[in-house]
Amino acid sequence: MTRPPNENLPAIKLVVVGDGGVGKSAITIQFFQKMFVTDYDPTIEDSYLQHVEVDGQWCILDVLDTAGQEEFSAMREQYMRKGDGFLLVYSVTDKNSYENIIHFHTQILRVKDRDVYPMLLVANKVDLVHLRKITEEQGRELAHKLGIPYIETSAKDPPLNIDATFHEVVRIIRNQPQAELEKRKKKKLQILNKCVLQ
Amino acid sequence: MNDADSLPTWRLWGEEKTDGALYTVYLKKVRYHRPTKSVSSSSYSDSDDEISHLEWETVRVRFVKAGTLKKLVEALATDDGELETTYINVFLATYRSFSNPKEVLKLLLQRYEELLSPVNGISDNHEQHRKTLISALHVWLDSYPEDFKEPPHHSTLRQLLQFCEEYLPTTELEAKVRHRLDKYGRESYPESLLTPPPTFAMRTGGTISWKTYRLPEVPVRHFAEQLTRMDMELFKKLVPHQCLGAIWSRRDKSRSHEAATVLATVNQFNAVSFRVISSILVDPQLKANERAQIIVCWIDIAQELRVLKNFSSLKAIISGLQSNPIYRLQKTWQAIPKEKIELFDELARIFSEDNNQWAQRELLMREGTAKFADTVGENDKQLQKIFQKQNNHIANISFGTIPYLGTFLTDLTMIDTAIPDTISDGLINFDKRRKEFEVLAQIKLLQGAANAYHLPEDSMFDRWFDSLLVLDDREAYQLTYQIEPSSNSSNTAKVKKKSVGHKKNDSIASNSSSNSSQFYCDFDSMPSSPHNSIDRKLSPSQMSNSSSNSSLPSLDVSLNSSHSGSANNKLQLSSINMSTLSPNHSQKNSPDFYIIKVTFETDCVETDGIVLYKSIMLSNNERTPQVIRNAMLKLCLEGNPDSYTLAQVLPDKEMMLPPNANVYYAVNTAYNLNFILRPKASEDSSSTGKHSKGKTKS
Repeated sequence: MTRPPNENLPAIKLVVVGDGGVGKSAITIQFFQKMFVTDYDPTIEDSYLQHVEVDGQWCILDVLDTAGQEEFSAMREQYMRKGDGFLLVYSVTDKNSYENIIHFHTQILRVKDRDVYPMLLVANKVDLVHLRKITEEQGRELAHKLGIPYIETSAKDPPLNIDATFHEVVRIIRNQPQAELEKRKKKKLQILNKCVLQ
Repeated sequence: MNDADSLPTWRLWGEEKTDGALYTVYLKKVRYHRPTKSVSSSSYSDSDDEISHLEWETVRVRFVKAGTLKKLVEALATDDGELETTYINVFLATYRSFSNPKEVLKLLLQRYEELLSPVNGISDNHEQHRKTLISALHVWLDSYPEDFKEPPHHSTLRQLLQFCEEYLPTTELEAKVRHRLDKYGRESYPESLLTPPPTFAMRTGGTISWKTYRLPEVPVRHFAEQLTRMDMELFKKLVPHQCLGAIWSRRDKSRSHEAATVLATVNQFNAVSFRVISSILVDPQLKANERAQIIVCWIDIAQELRVLKNFSSLKAIISGLQSNPIYRLQKTWQAIPKEKIELFDELARIFSEDNNQWAQRELLMREGTAKFADTVGENDKQLQKIFQKQNNHIANISFGTIPYLGTFLTDLTMIDTAIPDTISDGLINFDKRRKEFEVLAQIKLLQGAANAYHLPEDSMFDRWFDSLLVLDDREAYQLTYQIEPSSNSSNTAKVKKKSVGHKKNDSIASNSSSNSSQFYCDFDSMPSSPHNSIDRKLSPSQMSNSSSNSSLPSLDVSLNSSHSGSANNKLQLSSINMSTLSPNHSQKNSPDFYIIKVTFETDCVETDGIVLYKSIMLSNNERTPQVIRNAMLKLCLEGNPDSYTLAQVLPDKEMMLPPNANVYYAVNTAYNLNFILRPKASEDSSSTGKHSKGKTKS
């Protein structure tokens, strides 16, 4: 069941979340397939594994995209728990998907029991200019509010920012402030002490 | 057909393009003479030593890769006019992604007419082709009858009838079409593809009122069987092609009915998960080990589901137990015996996302159509024991399999995204449909296997299932933090901040009435249950205990004697939202809502022993019409709230609520909060005089 260690490269698990119909699967497929192939098989073991080099460092990206299962709402937290970083995807043509981002954001922080976590806000389908309902400003405003970076994508040919999106999350994961982690550890210790004192 | 036998002799030759179609061409070696050996042996010794080359010939075989719709319809028959059985299966299972029944029928009939026309010459071949078209129509009518159901006029079917009358009078096909039309005509109401499980059927004759199961003292095997029965009914009704990416994942609101059977499965999955969560949280006063028992009970049910090969409810339970409000309850989990935790981990591993759900796929492959479950990993100690025990008992039992549908839905969504609908100048990409069919065929196979289940129906289970309260997101979080305050709560401010964040979720959450600092929860009212006894009542020590964990002063509150003293099983819940409490809170405020049970009684005579009830929340500003409306919603009743009355069931009488009372203040909290909703009788029968036949005897 376990796979052989791949030259001991660090494996990074990315989880793609967002409403149904925002084009999550297209982003994932575009990243993994590059070109459309007719013998695509979604059931093979390493369909969503890829070696990538970001800023000169290699890692294995393991992407979990549960497109098609959005309405199994009860299992969302189960797979969120596994993620090292998240793509929060909405479609610029779908206002609801934009408004729902905040729920995914809240849910991830709750599952992780953290105040911040590596995430990237992805505004997808920007190629559909005439159908666009959410402007770049609105997107950036939301990103600012959530305290996460923002990127615009299109999975249509020619793709826009697809590789950049995945690489960016890797950077966010690598750059998450260690200080923050340290602080949290300290806090926990303090609590422990407090409890003991009480 | 016999791919395993013939595969070694297939060779890809290339592609061939004709007007309106693109073919993949293979060269296939076939036997020229009949071999003396048995066919099966050839698959082992497909070597040239045994049979001379002279006994083989090579033929060209082409498969439609892409084509116009017209060409795809023509391809239902081979060049020789034989029915392409595999092709027609793929076509009929998937064509709704690129066409519709009317269009396909039109082309089929056109083709038939073309073959009749003398312009195209007459040959035996044409007659064979026509025969094949008729066979194709038979296959279509038999395997997808719903395609022809278009109430009220069923115009596609009528068109086919017209055709039959003209070209094929008094044939089997004509009789079939006529029969089908008659049948549909008689069904005056369009039958929904989807009838919900019969949980709402009124049952009569029960002598026990309000009797129900209560966790954790339930027969776990029986529960697993009942959950499986519910899933099986939905799974057998599932229309596989509704899972296709083009239908399920591309649907919008206007088309959601096209995926109704898929949605029903998803809803059932969520229903199970949410009930797992609420059953564990709903009573915050349980001690850690009591709550642990409920979790253990669900793990035991999950284990039985594994034996029954019901991966849908199994995953639903695992998901519920892994949802954050449950997962974070460390003290509770610590109170669970080690071997149960091991068992839980083993069951959860089945659904590991690692390597693209490899574990689950492998299991389904092995056991999908096997008689019973027997696959365990090396490390699955607990499951090994269980299967060993099982194998000693079940000599002749066999089970079906119910898959977790989500994996198929994702696979189909991914295929739909990855493979284009059309290739080379707009030809319909039929290879994509073949790929999709591989997944659909697997679903169909499992549907067939599901017939192996023979499970009794227990209406008491249905009622229990249906009456369980489902918590919305925020309620679940309030309760879980009340049960175990955040370990990270050196700053309760953080919790507070978070709970503000949760409130944003209210737009999805349905319940507006629960914005409370505390509420009463009327639990189960089986007087005999040990859990209703006095030890469950709120004890001051527990109170102080739970509140000392937080940095806030001991909260409230109304151990208001009239409430806590009299009701034998009423629970008082305090919430984490303590910031709203003012020091003199206990005087001023009462709980903001109660959970009440409402049962529905019709006016018909045979209503003794109605035991169906629903839990609803009752907040402190809701008046009678609103409460009636809420109850109607939960009980799936339609109509005008004004035509119903609501009464609380008291031990010796009923208390009818005045038409515009504030129900929250009007109820008698000294007794169980059980209510009866009934249609208003005609003016003469006064409601006070009429005794409920279904009332509680307590």
